[in-house]
Amino acid sequence: MDKNDKSSKGQQGININVLKQGLCTGCSACVNLCPSMEYYKDKTILLHDCNLDKGRCFTYCPRAPTDFEMLRRELFDPEDMVLELGSFKGLYMTRATNENIRTGAQHGGTVTALIQLALAQGIIDEAVLADNNDLLLPSAQPIADEDEVLEKARSKFVVSPTVSAFNRISRAGEGKIGVVATPCQAQALTKMKVNPVLEDKLRMEKLKLVIGLFCGWALDWRKFQKLMKEKAGDFKIKGMDIPPSNHACMEVYTIKGTIKVPIEEISNCVRDDCSYCFDMTCEFADISVGSARSKEGWDVDKGWNQLIVRTSKGAQLLALAREKGVLEFKKVPDNNIEKLKKASARKKHACLMNLAQKTGNWDDLIYIDSGDPVVRHIRGMNFGQQ
Amino acid sequence: MLEAKKDFEALLMGNDAIARGALEAGVNVVTGYPGTPSSEIVEQLAKVAEESNLYVEWSVNEKVALEVAAAGSYARLKSMCVMKQVGVNVAADSLLHIAEYGTRGGLVLVSCEDPGALSSTNEGDSRPYAKMMEFPLLEPGDFQEAKDMAKWAFELSEDIRNIVMLRSVTRLSHASGNVIMGELPKDRPKAAFEFSSIPMDQMKGPILAFPTLVDPLRRRQLEKLSKAEKIFEGSPFNKYTGPAKPELLIITSSVCKLYVQEALDILGLWERVGLLKLGTTWPLPSKLLEQHLGICEKIFIVEEGTPFLEDNIKALAAEKAKQVGIKTFFGRKDGTLPPVNELNPDLLIKGINFILGESYQFVSDEYKAKALEIIAAGAPVRELTFCPGCPHRASFWLINSALKLDNRAGFLCGDIGCYSLGAGPCGFSTIKILQAMGSGMGMASGFGKLDKFGMTQPIMAVCGDSTFFHAVIPALVNAVHNRSDMILVVLDNSGTAMTGFQPHPGSPSGAIGTRLPVLDIEKLCNSLNVRVEMGDPFDLKGTRETMLDLLEDGGNPRVLILKQPCALSPIKKGQKMYEMAIDANLCLADLCGCNKLCTRVFKCPGLIWDTQKEKVRIDEVLCTGCGVCADICPAKAIKA
Repeated sequence: MDKNDKSSKGQQGININVLKQGLCTGCSACVNLCPSMEYYKDKTILLHDCNLDKGRCFTYCPRAPTDFEMLRRELFDPEDMVLELGSFKGLYMTRATNENIRTGAQHGGTVTALIQLALAQGIIDEAVLADNNDLLLPSAQPIADEDEVLEKARSKFVVSPTVSAFNRISRAGEGKIGVVATPCQAQALTKMKVNPVLEDKLRMEKLKLVIGLFCGWALDWRKFQKLMKEKAGDFKIKGMDIPPSNHACMEVYTIKGTIKVPIEEISNCVRDDCSYCFDMTCEFADISVGSARSKEGWDVDKGWNQLIVRTSKGAQLLALAREKGVLEFKKVPDNNIEKLKKASARKKHACLMNLAQKTGNWDDLIYIDSGDPVVRHIRGMNFGQQ
Repeated sequence: MLEAKKDFEALLMGNDAIARGALEAGVNVVTGYPGTPSSEIVEQLAKVAEESNLYVEWSVNEKVALEVAAAGSYARLKSMCVMKQVGVNVAADSLLHIAEYGTRGGLVLVSCEDPGALSSTNEGDSRPYAKMMEFPLLEPGDFQEAKDMAKWAFELSEDIRNIVMLRSVTRLSHASGNVIMGELPKDRPKAAFEFSSIPMDQMKGPILAFPTLVDPLRRRQLEKLSKAEKIFEGSPFNKYTGPAKPELLIITSSVCKLYVQEALDILGLWERVGLLKLGTTWPLPSKLLEQHLGICEKIFIVEEGTPFLEDNIKALAAEKAKQVGIKTFFGRKDGTLPPVNELNPDLLIKGINFILGESYQFVSDEYKAKALEIIAAGAPVRELTFCPGCPHRASFWLINSALKLDNRAGFLCGDIGCYSLGAGPCGFSTIKILQAMGSGMGMASGFGKLDKFGMTQPIMAVCGDSTFFHAVIPALVNAVHNRSDMILVVLDNSGTAMTGFQPHPGSPSGAIGTRLPVLDIEKLCNSLNVRVEMGDPFDLKGTRETMLDLLEDGGNPRVLILKQPCALSPIKKGQKMYEMAIDANLCLADLCGCNKLCTRVFKCPGLIWDTQKEKVRIDEVLCTGCGVCADICPAKAIKA
């Protein structure tokens, strides 16, 4: 086979259309399926050439050509579709009732509480979570014990090999699995779930819950750790956050104290592939969770999460959380949906521009179908000069 | 080597013939560094070292080998130093000084060269050293001459009191022919170095290359060269065969003589063509040449390597133009012969036909085409590859994986050894620079300093254990001192494996088998105060972790020693660490999830792809039981 065959639906297709195009997100969907693709630090590596003209790496890759409209049809109720936000059954502001969870969590601890609940109720037997042993370079671990879930809390700014961990445990074990995923990871899981190749049918039935995380971008580990080394030296980093303010900074919490890193320096560390992302609110999940915005301001908001329910499974889980009292709710400000829609549309628009710029052709958006209804809608929107 | 009495005729390999010639000359000290096609000479002499009272050593490198041999000569012993063509470059600095001063006991430098680079990375021709450094050069043209000229080289050296170079080539060193033996001497000389006289007293003074002595030393050296030329004029190793007035005169040396003879036999041209075969090619016997250049207008010079004879004879012909007249020269320079690569009778037939305007074709085009067709269809494809169970395959698997995972376009600088194959598919094309002994380390030392110009690629170098001692130590010291950011991986397979497992300073015994102190590579590196890690290339998981960690730990030179004896090593031979087995039910074959990783990428010759069952199987005969493939198989179908 021609080594430069763009039409390959195997590893060569991935190499030419995704890796060499700089689109790979490091979601790790192609890892732990075969020995030729591996994950190292925060990157997916093509370790050995494979000459198969069809492969699961290509089939499941969220940056290989993807029919998102088909995935939406398969996963969601068409009645729920909101063009900017995906399937939408409601927007909530929540936080964990348990104060211990909130203290250990990035914001409201909603994800931690929901995963603990799903484990306790037997909805899932184990959950794949990004580890926070090393905040600069998270790994991904399956957790079966509710108490351990809290240890995995807090936001990570570098991607974790979550889907590869799912691949590994879904092949080995028998249990029901839940995954906390970023948008690209959730897209990959959805592609696997909706259209598994024969040998993956059984294991994909084990995927019972996807809790999505809102995601603006992820950082490139090598650049970020270099920056952190400059800023924090060898001090252990306990946490990080980017509070909204006029003087945007990343706050890095170390035992030495808080270090403020100007956002421009952080922006320089953002993965290139994030500029081709079409999904801020993690649309291909049962429930998607992010930080909150409200009139009361950041000091209050940082203790809360915003949450979108997308599937009936997600709605049931949230209802259960309310019933069991593991989450507290507060009223969502009236204009929050509009703000969220605008932010999401802005990211989608930037993605399409970047893709079109890469190909020089608005009808060739590499992995996104230019005829997709959401694409057509976003293209028609006007954001002025960005 | 010793049993054969005088006048006994035996079939000898060219290298054996050279060794026998040295014994007949009464050689005492033999040194060398292994290198194809030279290694057998030292090995043969090592075997008889005790009986013949020889000192034989495999030296750390060719420069030291020449110096050790020169010490023998300066102590009035007959000494011989053996190497392949590239070794002469390593020895060249000392060679210049030894040749300038001269010798006491006979000193012969044997250079076995490799036209066509059959087992080399170059087609180096050492003959120009003889001209450049002004000492005599001998080129035996057959197996008898290999023995006879080896013996004569010592006599000549003692006659003129300077070093003599004996040059062989692969087709002489490694082919065999009949040789009639000569007498073996019985005398046992006593060694002593005298320095009681003035420096210019060659036999009794101190040996000093002082600036003020260069003028007289060089004058003396040139006198030696003139003396050699006079001897060469009457040498039986220079021989003319053919008519008194030929249409074409062919001048040749070395085994090219055999090619010319065969070509003339086939063409039936002995009546028309004359052959002047030279055994002494520097200095040229000018009177002899003047005499023969005069008999013919067309001169065809046949030689392998650089146009050494051609240039020198042309210069001589210009000098003697009045006496010999204007000549037309044919050779490598005008395209009568190809400018590079080995010669053979076919090429000579073509050349002679071209000059004489004949059209005889020894092998018809039709036959050639048919032969090629049969070869293509009938011969199995045999890739250049590492042996089954070779630790290098595992090492390159690891280095290749580590550099790819690291993902910063890191690369590997290699050098000379079995592991040079790391540049090819069997080494996953990991080596990106491959030149001379130890040059990988030196270049890595250089690349590792280019960060100030924005170079961010991680740099790795590999060397073998023998090469480590031979040429890597100074380069490593350079990297340490200059704080170069690089990783040296020493592929320690416990011997000079490529050339036949000769010992080196890390080995417990020397050329003659006596026990010798072992130099520990790890301890040597530790003494440089850099990070040194040990690893087993067969421990894929653990060693990969070490390698990745070393890659992250940038800024200074780091050393990783991967220790695992060669699969052919005497320590290992015939023993299997594991009995390998296949669970065919688990083998994923060419399905997504594997795609024959074992036989498509890893490709140990001990693994066979069964085309009928479409599963992998073990070749019980070839498999050495190293167990590495069990860790390669993603489905755990290969079991150790």
